[in-house]
Amino acid sequence: MYYVAKVNSDMCAEYKCNTCTLYCPEANTLMFDKDGNTSWVDEDRCKGCALCVYVCTDMLDRNCITMEMAGHED
Amino acid sequence: MSLKYITPAERFKKYLPKDYVELVDYGPFGKTQEEAGPGNMGQFKELMEEHPMCSGCWMAYYIRLIFASLPCPEETVTLGTAGCGRLAISQAAVPFIYGNYGDQNAMASGLTRAFRLRFPDKTKDVITIAGDGGTMDIGFSMTMHSWIRGEKFTTIMLDNEVYGNTGGQSSGMSPQGVILKMAPMGKDFGKMPATALAQAAGCVYTVRMSPTNIKKAAKIIRRAIFVAREVGPTFIHAYTSCNIEYSIPTEDVFQDAKDKEKTRFQFEEYMTDEAKAVIERVEEEEKTARKAKKAASKAEVN
Repeated sequence: MYYVAKVNSDMCAEYKCNTCTLYCPEANTLMFDKDGNTSWVDEDRCKGCALCVYVCTDMLDRNCITMEMAGHED
Repeated sequence: MSLKYITPAERFKKYLPKDYVELVDYGPFGKTQEEAGPGNMGQFKELMEEHPMCSGCWMAYYIRLIFASLPCPEETVTLGTAGCGRLAISQAAVPFIYGNYGDQNAMASGLTRAFRLRFPDKTKDVITIAGDGGTMDIGFSMTMHSWIRGEKFTTIMLDNEVYGNTGGQSSGMSPQGVILKMAPMGKDFGKMPATALAQAAGCVYTVRMSPTNIKKAAKIIRRAIFVAREVGPTFIHAYTSCNIEYSIPTEDVFQDAKDKEKTRFQFEEYMTDEAKAVIERVEEEEKTARKAKKAASKAEVN
């Protein structure tokens, strides 16, 4: 049981921004999809540090990324 | 290693691991900084693959940034020593040499000289990336002597202010008064003046920084590499916090790096006149190349 980052792609696509991808300490984990204009997380690689949440929420005030339980579908 | 050396023959591609083929096809080899630089991280296959470093490690982030900003990754060799950093550096798609503890700068001296003899027609970059223990404590003599000899390579110190890999003993770079293992009453003396020592030993370009601004950090790394190619030894002293030993919650790691930028790691850049001339020339060349490319793409659209 652990948390991973999840991007709300609809909210994210409204902004022209890939700032979170620049600050993830894991390589090839928080990626940017140019066609959909949104960031996405490779959940198998995410270590759940929530640095991207800090960038998206505290720094940019966009609140597009949340921490959710891995593999949890509602 | 060169681009030709790593590119597989078309018919063998299907037998190679997927990761390798993706790296050759979508990685930063042979691409410019505009296509596969730090500004586009998350849009290309990175040189560094998975790494076993802790969750939220700022050092892992800085290493990722170093590899993204290499001017010529296919002609680069990195050297490292024991410590957290090499866990990630050794797994990147750039040749890595691992020596005894602290001798990374001594090895790099020999390697740079050998490269200049063996490949006089090529520009080979040698970069040593080691922690504060490897550079300033145990590898101190070898680091200082490589600078005094004026060896032409880049030294990057990942300063986490503690021996993180062995369980949190105090190092020469730990700040005064901090309580760590081997310093239960608080450390008695302050940080070693790393950049001042580097300048005294003859480094032509030294920087002390906390990597919070990605563009600035990438520019510094590239500058250090360009200067080391032509003039002499260069040194980057970067703050890469240890969130485990200093008990920083992972979501506050970035804020902590920002705070340190205002206190112990205020930005400080030193360069000699020769180094300045090289930096100005290279950045002017890059600027004109960018402009020419922009004009070409505009003409294509029209």
